[in-house]
This record gives sequence, structure tokens and C-alpha cells, in this order.
Amino acid sequence: MGHKRTNAAIWAWTAFVLVAIYLPIVCGALASFNKSRYFGFPIKTYSTEWWQKTLDSIEIGMIVKTSIAIALLVTVFSVVIATFGALAFARYEWKGRKLYQKLILLPIFFPQPVLGLAMLLGFNAVGIQTSWMTAVFAHMIWIVPVVTLVIAIQVYGFDPSLEEAAYDLGCSRTQVFREVTLPLLWPGIWSGMLFAFLLSWSNFPLSLYTTGADSTIPEWLYAKMVAGYTPMVPALGTMATLGAACLLLAGGLIGILLRRRAAA
Amino acid sequence: MLQTLPADALSTELPKPILQLVGIRKTFGAFTAVENIDLDVREGEFLTIVGPSGSGKTTLLRMLAGMDTPSEGNITLHGKLINDVPPNKRPTCLVFQSLALFPHKSVGENIAFPLKVKGVDAAARKARALELMRIVRLPESYFDKNVMKCSGGERQRVALARALAYDPEVLFFDEPLSAIDYKLKKTLEKELKDLHRETGKTFIYITHSLEEAMVMSDRIGVMRAGRLVQVGTPEEIYGAPVDRFVCEFVGEVNTLKVKRAADGSWQGVDVPGTFTLAPPRSGAVLDEAFVVVRPEFMRILGPGESADNRLGGVVYNEYSLGSRIQYQVRVGAKVMLVELSRGRALPASLDRQVTLGWDAADAFTLES
Repeated sequence: MGHKRTNAAIWAWTAFVLVAIYLPIVCGALASFNKSRYFGFPIKTYSTEWWQKTLDSIEIGMIVKTSIAIALLVTVFSVVIATFGALAFARYEWKGRKLYQKLILLPIFFPQPVLGLAMLLGFNAVGIQTSWMTAVFAHMIWIVPVVTLVIAIQVYGFDPSLEEAAYDLGCSRTQVFREVTLPLLWPGIWSGMLFAFLLSWSNFPLSLYTTGADSTIPEWLYAKMVAGYTPMVPALGTMATLGAACLLLAGGLIGILLRRRAAA
Repeated sequence: MLQTLPADALSTELPKPILQLVGIRKTFGAFTAVENIDLDVREGEFLTIVGPSGSGKTTLLRMLAGMDTPSEGNITLHGKLINDVPPNKRPTCLVFQSLALFPHKSVGENIAFPLKVKGVDAAARKARALELMRIVRLPESYFDKNVMKCSGGERQRVALARALAYDPEVLFFDEPLSAIDYKLKKTLEKELKDLHRETGKTFIYITHSLEEAMVMSDRIGVMRAGRLVQVGTPEEIYGAPVDRFVCEFVGEVNTLKVKRAADGSWQGVDVPGTFTLAPPRSGAVLDEAFVVVRPEFMRILGPGESADNRLGGVVYNEYSLGSRIQYQVRVGAKVMLVELSRGRALPASLDRQVTLGWDAADAFTLES
């Protein structure tokens, strides 16, 4: 009897958490299908009009391109830096490693609006005009540590004697990296890439301060909420969320395949 | 006659040294891991370094393989100094304790790896890998098998084949059999020794198990606290240990401390009695010594039987060792071990009064 009650409680709690997490997203999606300009439940007439308008908008097209460009560059740079950073973090013994391990993680805990403001002031001080390119740099300040941590987890699960064995069997240092280190770190690097892209894609506070005249999706959503709301706001929001979810799903599947190949 | 032989007449009968270590010392900060190692490794021999964990044997091996550099001393290969030659430039190969098989490569790819690095084309690589698989007794069908799906014994063979594919002059082994169950270990030990004959290469093996060393080696070096205590054939290590440490390493032993009395006789320190000792092998004149008797040389004397030395005791317990039985005999507070073949087992042994005996020639007289 007690067992049944516990089970029921677990189900109820799980259902509550799922509703709490996903209901707002569903609400956003529903709001985007409202024919009327202003938001309010129950929705009287459904329409795909605002989705069509969103897709047709040249302004939104540019914003999406900016967001993608930033996220892609952040992904590439972060993963390269973080891969070597993770090896320094988790593999090699060197003087100052303990300090490095703490310093590299610190930016994750900075309040992002403060970090964004600080970056803006910094760019001004050295006379750099802010644009989507400065936002790439700003995003990296926060994302490189996260990706370093993600890849470091993979490095910790890696037997260093594998590299030594390859070296002993005649490999040069670059051959060791190409033949052993990189293939074995791939699952972690792949996860790191997904993290980098998605964290950049959804970042608002850093973009707000550092994109200058350019604008990203989260910035546009915020601006339109403040003034000039139309159901295009939830429409674009839902599209961005769906895009991220698809990427995550595809990336997750590839990640599982990589892991299976590396560990099976 | 022997003294008139020229000094090098004997050495020409031995294979020439391939690897020479002179005054090797390795420190990590304030810690000295290896000290004062002089060793000639002969071409084609199977040399095993044994020692308890922390005795510096792995450090020594890593220096030989090129993964560490000695703090002092010289390592020469064929007379050429190789202290600073990196592992990928040495004609040597190490089989790791973890085996270090590449988990993302198949059995065949693992074995062919050194050939791939050398730039051998795919067809020739595969042919050589299959040949090596035959030598280490792996079925051909394993070529495409995931290496992580192989059993412990199969992985050993893959690691061995991969090392052989590199075609090294010297193969190093860092306790590769330590995680293998007893029965398989016994098989692999013999196979490794057969492989040594078949390839004719120089093998340097490291283990903490002297039993393993005895089965396989031409020569054994015993390490303790960073130093090589004794180097010799298994017979020398077993039959003429230089000190109690080597003795105890070989197996369980009975040790008695003795002191020379005013009349020149040897008196027991832990147990009362007068003992007859063989002179120490070193020829030194001692006031204090240790008598070490292996349990298999200890006898239980029947009526009328005699021995150079005798001790009365009571059987406390017996342990079956398969073909032999070991008895724990208490002589006062001292515990002595006696091993008898099963055919000579004592009936109703527990609490039986017995007389232990051994001849001076069957015991070692050691300084320390």
C-alpha cells in the first residue's frame, strides 16, 4: 500500500515539474497562432498569419542570420580554445594549474548583465566599435569556460598511457594527437560544440550590451516586448526554441553514435 | 688453472650487452625513486626486474623506454648513449600494465598501428597483422573485432602483437599479467617465454611476483627501495640470496637470529639453543647473523633421525598447499613453517610434539 502511494507521489511530482517547464513554451506557441494582435486566453481565432509574416520579414531574416553567425563563430573558436584548455585543465601537471582551474571557471558565475556592461565599457575604452563581431568575443568570455568544463570531463575519462603508447610505437606528437587524443575526445568535443552553439543562440544579456547596432533574436524579442508587440514575438520565439530543440536532438543522436564508437 | 685465464675469455661466451645502465639515478623533487643502478642487459635474454610496489621498478622501466630521463647516469643501447632519445625514436617498445589498447580501433587496426605510423600501405599492414595474430594465437576472424569486446587474455595477445609489429630490438613489459586470473596467467607466462624463444628478441619484464619471474626469466634482478639488490639466474636468486629481503621475496622462510658466544659457538637469540651454521657466502667474519631455512628444507625428525640443528616444538596448525602440506610449528613464541610432501603428512598433527631439524648446508647464513 505504502509502495503504491510513493509511486503515485512520484508520478504527481514528475507531472508537475514537466508542466511547470513546458507549459510556458506551449503557451508561447499558442500565442503565436492567435489571429488577434493582442495576447489573451482563450484564443478566439487561430491563424498562421503571424508565422507567415515572421518568415517573410526581411528584418527578422537579418536578425536570424546575425544570431547564426555569432553562434557559429563562437562554436568554432570556443571548441578549439576549450579543447586545449581542457587538456591543460584535466591532463597535464603544471605549475599554476590549480589557480588556472579556478580562474577559468570564474566567468561562469559572473552576473551576465554586469559582465556585458563591463565588456561594453572595455570596448569603448580601447576604442573598438561594437558590432556582432564584438558580441562573438563577449559570448566566448562566458562560453569558453563552460565548454572547457564539458570537454575536461571527457579528458578525465581518458587513460594517458594511450598517448604514451602511441608515442612509444613511433608516432610524432602531431600523430599522437590526430590518431589517439582527438578521436577519443570527440564525444566531449561534440557535446562542447552543442553547448557553445546553443548557449550563444539563446544569450541575451551579453548580446544586449555588445552587439552595437546589430541585433540577435533574444534582443529583438525583448525590444518588441517593450514596444511594438505583435504575435510575431512568440512566433519567432517558438521558431528559435524549435530550431534549438532540433539541433539538440540531432546533435544528441550523433553524440550517442560517437560515444558508442569510442567506448563500445 | 682458472686464474690464468684471460679476463675476457669468459665474457666472450656470454652474449654481448645490448643495453647498459651505468650509475642510474632518478629523483622526483626530494624523493629518490631509483639510485645507483648498474646493469648490463644481454642481447636476446629474458630479464625480469622484481620488487615490491614502490621499489622503483616502473620508474626504471620508464627511463629505459624513454618516457623519463635519468637524473644521473647513462643508458646506452649498442654502445650509443640514449638518455635523451624520445620513445618514438628508440627501437624499443613497452607493453603497459593497462595494455593501453586503442579503444576506438579494431584488433587489426591496433596491431597494424605501428606500421600505419611508419607509412606501410594498407595491404601490407593487413598481411603483417594477420601474421602476427597467428604468432600470438589470435584467430584470424578477430581482425575486425572491437578490441574492447575481447577477453583479458585476448587483449594481452593484441598488445603483444602490436608491440611486435613495431619490430623493436628490446621489448619492455610493465606487469601486464597483474590483472589476469591465476590459471590464465600461468598459460600466458609460458606462452610469453615461448614467444621469447621464437622471436629471439631481448625481453625486459617487470613484476612484483617472483613466482612469475622464476617461470620466465633467464636472469632476475631484485629491487628494493630504488636499488638493485641482486641480479642473477633464478637458481642463484633461489639458491644464493644475498640478504633476508631477497630470501623472503622468494617465498616464506624461517629466520632465526643468532649471536656468536665467547667460545665461538652460535647461540639463538629468539629461541634458546646452539646452532651449526655454514659460513656466510660473502666470507665475512660475523658476530651476529641470520639463519634462514626454507620451509621445504625443514624436516620433522623421526626417532633415530639426525640433523645438524634441532628444535622442539608443537604443531599449531596445518595448511594444504595441494601436493604439499605446510605445518605451523610453535617453538616457544617463535613460529616456524615446515612443508612436507603429501605422502609424508603427519597423522593427527594438531598439538603434536615434534622435533624440527635441518642441516647447515640447507640453510643460508646472512649478514642482514
